[in-house]
Amino acid sequence: MVRKADLTVVGRDQPRLDGAARLTGRAEFTDDVRLPGMLHAKVVRSPLPRARVVNVDTSAARRLPGVRAVVTREDAPQLAVGLHQPLFDTTVNYIGQEVAAVAALDEATAAEAAALVRVEYEPLPAITDFEAALVEGAAQLHPKAPGNVAWELAEVHGDPERAFAESAFQREDVYYTNPSHNCYAEFHVAVADYTAGGRLTVWTPSQSALLFQKALAAGFGLSEGQVRMMTLHTGGGFTGRSAVRPHHFVAALLSRKAGRPVKLRAVADEEFIMCRAGGRSRYRFRSGLGADGRLKVVEADLAFDSGAYVESQMILTTLTKSYLHLLYRLEATRYRGRLVCTNNLPYYFHHGGGLAQMQFGWGQHLDALARDAGLDPVEFHLLNAVGKGHTTMSGAHFASCGLAECITKAARQAGWGRKYGRLPKYRGIGIGIGAMASGAKGVFRHDTSAAFIKIAEDGTMSLFTGLPDMGQSSHTAMAIIAAEVLGARPVDITVISGDTDVAPLDVGAFSQRGTFNTGNAVIAAASDARAQLAKVAAERFGVKIAQVVFRDRQVWPKGAPGQAIALKQLVHDTLHSREGRYVMGRGFYNSPKASGTMAYSFGAQVAEVSVDPETGVVTVERVVAAHDVGRALNPRIVEGQIDGQVFSGLSQALYEEVLMEDGQALNPSRLDYRLPRSFEMPAVEHIIVESNDPYGPFGAKEVGEGPIVCTMQAIANAVAHAIGVPVTEMPMTPSRVLRAMAERREPPAGDPPLRHLLRGRRLR
Amino acid sequence: MLYCAPTGGFPQDRRVQLPAFEYLRPQSLAQALDWLAMYGTRAAVLAGGTDLLLAMRQRLVVPEVVIGIGDLPELRGVAFDGEGVLHLGAAETLTTLAGHPLLRVGQPALAAALQSVGSRHVRNVATLGGNLNLPTRCWYTNQSETWRQARVPCLKTGGDICFVIPGARECFALNGADGAVALLALDARLELASAGGRREVSIAGFYRNDGLAPTTLAAGELVTAVRVPAAAGRSTFIKIAPRTGLDYGLGTIAAVVAGDDDGITAARLVLGSIASWPVRLHEAERIVVAGGLTPATIEAAAQAARADLGELTNL
Repeated sequence: MVRKADLTVVGRDQPRLDGAARLTGRAEFTDDVRLPGMLHAKVVRSPLPRARVVNVDTSAARRLPGVRAVVTREDAPQLAVGLHQPLFDTTVNYIGQEVAAVAALDEATAAEAAALVRVEYEPLPAITDFEAALVEGAAQLHPKAPGNVAWELAEVHGDPERAFAESAFQREDVYYTNPSHNCYAEFHVAVADYTAGGRLTVWTPSQSALLFQKALAAGFGLSEGQVRMMTLHTGGGFTGRSAVRPHHFVAALLSRKAGRPVKLRAVADEEFIMCRAGGRSRYRFRSGLGADGRLKVVEADLAFDSGAYVESQMILTTLTKSYLHLLYRLEATRYRGRLVCTNNLPYYFHHGGGLAQMQFGWGQHLDALARDAGLDPVEFHLLNAVGKGHTTMSGAHFASCGLAECITKAARQAGWGRKYGRLPKYRGIGIGIGAMASGAKGVFRHDTSAAFIKIAEDGTMSLFTGLPDMGQSSHTAMAIIAAEVLGARPVDITVISGDTDVAPLDVGAFSQRGTFNTGNAVIAAASDARAQLAKVAAERFGVKIAQVVFRDRQVWPKGAPGQAIALKQLVHDTLHSREGRYVMGRGFYNSPKASGTMAYSFGAQVAEVSVDPETGVVTVERVVAAHDVGRALNPRIVEGQIDGQVFSGLSQALYEEVLMEDGQALNPSRLDYRLPRSFEMPAVEHIIVESNDPYGPFGAKEVGEGPIVCTMQAIANAVAHAIGVPVTEMPMTPSRVLRAMAERREPPAGDPPLRHLLRGRRLR
Repeated sequence: MLYCAPTGGFPQDRRVQLPAFEYLRPQSLAQALDWLAMYGTRAAVLAGGTDLLLAMRQRLVVPEVVIGIGDLPELRGVAFDGEGVLHLGAAETLTTLAGHPLLRVGQPALAAALQSVGSRHVRNVATLGGNLNLPTRCWYTNQSETWRQARVPCLKTGGDICFVIPGARECFALNGADGAVALLALDARLELASAGGRREVSIAGFYRNDGLAPTTLAAGELVTAVRVPAAAGRSTFIKIAPRTGLDYGLGTIAAVVAGDDDGITAARLVLGSIASWPVRLHEAERIVVAGGLTPATIEAAAQAARADLGELTNL
C-alpha cells in the first residue's frame, strides 16, 4: 500500500494539461476537421411517429447541382444500428428517424437537396406513452417485442417473501422520471472518409474507439483494422457516446458512395433527435424493515420507455439490478426491469447512468420507510450501510469502503442534527447516499486497457493510451500517474490517444473504468520503463535495482540523495551507451475477476433547500458532498467532478425535461430545454474521503459518476422535508411541487391537474 | 497534447443556418424608410438581430432583403427633452440603457425590465426597438422548419387550428417583451416613422391582444424612439422565470405607485408574458388606490387581476 507521504505528484492540484488549449479555442474538435474534397451531409427524417415507407423518390435531389451522393435503403439493405434497427427501416418508428441522406458540396446545398427528396408514407397508429404500450391489448409495435416488452431482466436473491413476512415495517412507492437530453458542450458530428481501398476513417466524439471500430467494421463488412477511429477533443460523453448511432453509419455510407470524405453534423433541433438520453421511466419499490431498524428486503420493479428501437438499452437493466446490492446489507432482493417499445425516439440514459435517476425514487422511498419506523434517515443509513470487506448477495466485494465515513462527515458538516425536523417552514434538509463501480467487466470477456510510454533524450515522455478524454480530465490523470512512477512531472508528459492506428487497445471511457483500468495500465507501462532505466542506474550507483529512487526529475540510490543525477541524464546515458538502449515501457490491465468490478466508490450528500410556497420554485441553498474516491489523484479535478455532477443532478432534479407530445419534443433547444445557470447553483462543499483502495492506481477509484447518484435523492428528500409531502416525479418543477402541496391539503380528486397546467406553460 | 488530424482545405464552408438574403445598409433614417417603403413585406429590419436571425434560421421569416438600422444616428441617444421627458433612441442596446444612470436612478422599473432580458451577450446587441417588436411566441411555431412539417399548420402558420388550446379561434401566442410591460406602467409613448411621415402612439395603443398581429405598426413603419415621462411615483419590475436570466418570463409585473401619508394616490399595474400584449390591471389599481395596501386589498386586487385575465394563465 502506498503511503501518502511517499507521493510527490499524486494528490497535488494539477491544472488540466489541455486547459489552455480548450480555453483559448485552440483545441480541435470534430467539427474543426476539414478534409480536402470534403462533402456535407443532410439527413431526410421522418415527420411521423410511425408509418410505412411506401416510396422514396430521390430523382429531384440527385439532379440538384452540387449534390454528390444520395443514399436510401437500397444502398444499405443489410446495415443495422444496434440490435433491431435497420439503418433505413421500411417502417419508420419515430419522428426524426432516418429515411434517406444526401451529400453535397456544402451544407446549404445538402439541405436544399434533402428537401427535394419525396417520401410517400402510409401512416400507422402510434403509441408514445410507454404505460399505454404495456396495457393488455395494446397494438404490438415490433414483431420481436410481444406485449411491447423488448427486454426483461428478473432476478431474485434470498427469500423475499419470508423477509417481508418478518418485516416490522414495509411500504411501496412509485416514482417517475421524464425524458431528458444530454446537453453536450459539443454537438453530435461525424466525419467519415471511406477510401477506395476499403479503409474507413471516422472522426467523431466517442467514449470508446474500440466499440465504434467493431460496430462500423461489422456494419460495412470490414475487418477491424480497416476502420480507423479518430477521437479529438470531446465535449462530453455521459454514456450517450459509448455506442455507434445512425449518423455514423449515414456519414460512412455517403462517403463510400461519393468516394469523398463527408461531414454530418447536427443542426438546430437535430441535436435532440441524434441524442440518446433518458426516456420516461417508472420505478416501483417495495421494501421491508425489521423491528431492529435493519433493512431486510428490497423489491424493485422498473419499466423504461426505451423508444422505437433497442440499440443498447439492456445495460440499463443490468446496471440497476446490480446497484440494488451496493449500499445496504440485505437479506433478500427481487428485481424486474423491462424495456418498453414505443414510438418515441430510441432512448438510452442521461448523465447518472440510469442509477442516479433510479436513486431519485429509491432514496425517497427508503427515507420514507425510515421515517415510518421513527428512524432519522442518517441513523437509518448508518445502521444499514455496507462496509469494508463486505461481500454482497450478488457477489460484489468491497476491498475498500468509506460509506459510513462519508455519511457521518457530510451530515456533521451540514449540521444535520440541529436541522433535521427543526428547520422553519418551507425549508428542508435531505440526504442521499450512493455507490459506483469502477469499471465493469461484461462487455467483453476482458476489460483491458493498455498503455505504452516512450521517453525522449530530454526526459520528456509520450504516453499512449486508448482512453478518450471527454472533458473528465483523464489525460491529465494518466500523466499524473506516469509522472509519479517515473519521478517526472505531469507537464513533462504528452498524452496521445484517440487514433486507433496509434493508440493501444482500451475498452473505453464508460462504466467509470478510466482511472481504475487505464490508470493501472499506465502504472504497468511506466513501471516497465522505469525498470529499464533502473537497471542502468543500479549499475551506475552499484546498488540493487530496487534501491533506485525516481523522484522530482532526479534519480538516486536509496538513502543517498546527494548522489542524485538528473532523470534526463540517465535517459541520455542509457541511449548513448554501448547497447544504445531506447526506453519504451508497455503494460496493460485487465480485472482479474471473471465479471464485475474490483472497486466501488461511495458517497453521501446532504442538500438544504427552500421552497417558495406561492410559486413552487425550489432553491437549493447548500450541498455538502462527501465522497470516497479511494485516493484523489488530482484534488482540484476531483472537486471539479463533484461540482459538475452536483450541477447536473440539481439540473435533472429540478429543471430538465424534454416535453414530449405525440412523439415530438416541444422544447428541442437550449432556450426551452432549460438548464439552470450559475445563479441557481450553490457553492458545493467538498469532503474527499480517501479509503486507499488496494487495487486502484495509488489507491484511486472512480469519481466520474459516484457523486451524481447522490444528488437527486438528496434534493428530493430535502424538498419532501420542506413541504411535508414527497414529489414523486422528476424534474420537480414548480407545477409538480405546487400540485404535491395541493394534494397534501385536500385529497386528490379525479384526474391530476398536471396536464392542464402543462398546457398553460406550453404557451411560451 | 492530443493527436490531431490534418486539417485545412476548403476555405468555404457554406452552412445551412440562414436563408440567402441581400443585406442593405442605409446611410440615413430617410433612406432606410424609403427602402422599407419600396420592399414592403419583402424586407426585414435588423438592429441587434437576436430575434430576427433566430426566426430566419427557423424559416419563420424569409426576407429578400435585410435592412440594417443598428448604427443609424437618428435612432440613438438617451437624453431629456425640454419637458423632462426621457427620450430613448430605439437602436440603443439594452446593455446601454439598463446601465444608464438616467434609467438606473430615474426609471428603475424600466432599467430592471431591460436588464432581465436574455443574457449579457444578448443585451449587448439587442435593442430597445427590437424588444418592443418582439414577435409573440409559442412552442408550436417557434421551431425549425422540419419540426413544423411534422404537424399541420396552426393559426399562426396559415392553418385553422391551435395546438395550445384545442378549438381556439384566435392565436394566444405570448408577448414576452419585458420592456413593454415597464413602459406601459410608466405611460410612455412611441415615436414611429415611415416614408409617409411620423406619428406618436401610446404603448397601450401600440399593442393588440392578438398573437398573430400583436402590434399596430404599419407596413413600412419603424419605431424610432421611446418617450418616457418622469415616473408618477416609485416604480418596480419583477420577472418570474424558470431560471435567472436567459429566459422568457412565466409572468412579469411592473408597478408605478404614488402615495402620501394617507395612502396610495395613484397606481399603474401591468402584467406581462401572460397574453399577447401587456395587460393593464385597471380594477386591481382601483382597489389598492381606494383601500391602500392591506392583506385584504392585496387579495382582492389579486382576485380582480385573475378575473380580468380569465381562464388563460400559465401559473
